Amino acid sequence: MNGKSMQWMSCLAALGLVGGLTAGFAATGVAQSVAGQAYGTYVNTPAATSGQSPLAVLPALSGTDGAEADAEGSALSVANTLSSDFLNAITSGALGTAETGAQSTASAADLNILNGLITADEVVANVVSSSTANGAVSNADGSTFANLVVAGVPITSGDAPVAPNTNITLPGVGYVVLNEQIPTGDGVTSSGMTVNMIHVFEQTPILGLLGQVLGYQTLGEIIVGSATSSVGP
Amino acid sequence: MMHKHRSFIVGFGLPAVALAGALVVIACQDSSPLLAPAPAHLRGDTCGGSGCVPPPTCITGKWTGGGRIDPTGDAARTAANDDAVDEPDGGQPPPPSATNASFITGKVTFGFNVFLGSDPSGQCIVNKGEIEVNGHALKLAWHVSIHDGVDAYDNRPVYATTFSDHHTGGVCLVVGTSSTNYMTARVNPQGGTELAQFEVCDNDRGQPQNSRSDAMRWRAQHEGDTGLTYLTGGNVVDHS
Repeated sequence: MNGKSMQWMSCLAALGLVGGLTAGFAATGVAQSVAGQAYGTYVNTPAATSGQSPLAVLPALSGTDGAEADAEGSALSVANTLSSDFLNAITSGALGTAETGAQSTASAADLNILNGLITADEVVANVVSSSTANGAVSNADGSTFANLVVAGVPITSGDAPVAPNTNITLPGVGYVVLNEQIPTGDGVTSSGMTVNMIHVFEQTPILGLLGQVLGYQTLGEIIVGSATSSVGP
Repeated sequence: MMHKHRSFIVGFGLPAVALAGALVVIACQDSSPLLAPAPAHLRGDTCGGSGCVPPPTCITGKWTGGGRIDPTGDAARTAANDDAVDEPDGGQPPPPSATNASFITGKVTFGFNVFLGSDPSGQCIVNKGEIEVNGHALKLAWHVSIHDGVDAYDNRPVYATTFSDHHTGGVCLVVGTSSTNYMTARVNPQGGTELAQFEVCDNDRGQPQNSRSDAMRWRAQHEGDTGLTYLTGGNVVDHS
């Protein structure tokens, strides 16, 4: 290669670099954010309280940074309300020029809620959110219950998913939502998902003067296996 | 967030344009000496009878991801979620390895974030990173923490490698390469440590995350090997 052709190549390379810089600045013009959180259990009832534990929260990210956060718990017991072991929470995420994403996982094993009213060998909550040039999406694939029993009724045999937002009445207690999925975002520039594998609502009836049920008042809640992820502008 | 980015562009935009213009002017001048290739020995080439081979390249950058795999322990590697086609890529051994004949099966969840760099010899290293892997059947939680280029549990550098796999556009990352004695992971609840290796493949780069073609593999000194397994849920992203 002679000197003249190398000069031309150098010139073209510089122009290409300038183009790349321009594209890079254009890319940074598309502001992005990412968030993630996961926890094993949460109790807030008249009988007992226990904060989100173990809790993993993705730290705030900027630029093209990335991070991972996790928390582990060997055992947890809230008297007459909840017991579990091998509790884990993981969340990770990163901002990128081609793809921005976050994913979170929460799990709890050997689960016993309200003295055997709900039992399971394990629950796993798993969510992912991703934003690319094709849009923003989230899903809860990989969220399952192992041998879940609710009020004496087997719900899953082995490790299996349950339809999103399955609502089951708990006589004398209230109701439970299984695989509760709460989506957020517009699906274009933003998307998010929270999945609560078990969400118990303790309720009491609101009675009229004649004893008729006018409605229900929520007194407390129990959440097991909660994972959240989101991406957005 | 949007406001911050706009400020960034305004703040750096004009100097960047000036710098770019200067770069073009300099590059388009007659500058043959600047472009003369460096001698092979200065590039770190390995030279022999058949010529010189450049030093190994390291695609530095960031990888992140997490989710779940469900390895079955199928020794024939024919299970639907076995990523058998990508398993030997990059020179990786077929599971179970020759030194550890057991599979890790059942639910395995994980999350990670690693930043790759290169050491003075050009080898890929992890500058910083965190890897968490939970083996649910075993009730074990492994964790690898790397700061300032060294493993927090043994104070050694953690070496990595990246390579293309059999999926179109797919690329894999191995952290804790075999030739550099893996890496050290903490194991809870016991609180001990053991050697480990982590592999992930991003096989749907830039695509919607619903194809379930990304894969993960975890190898632990005492418990065995998951084999490279497609994710049941989650995502793996190569940001480099």
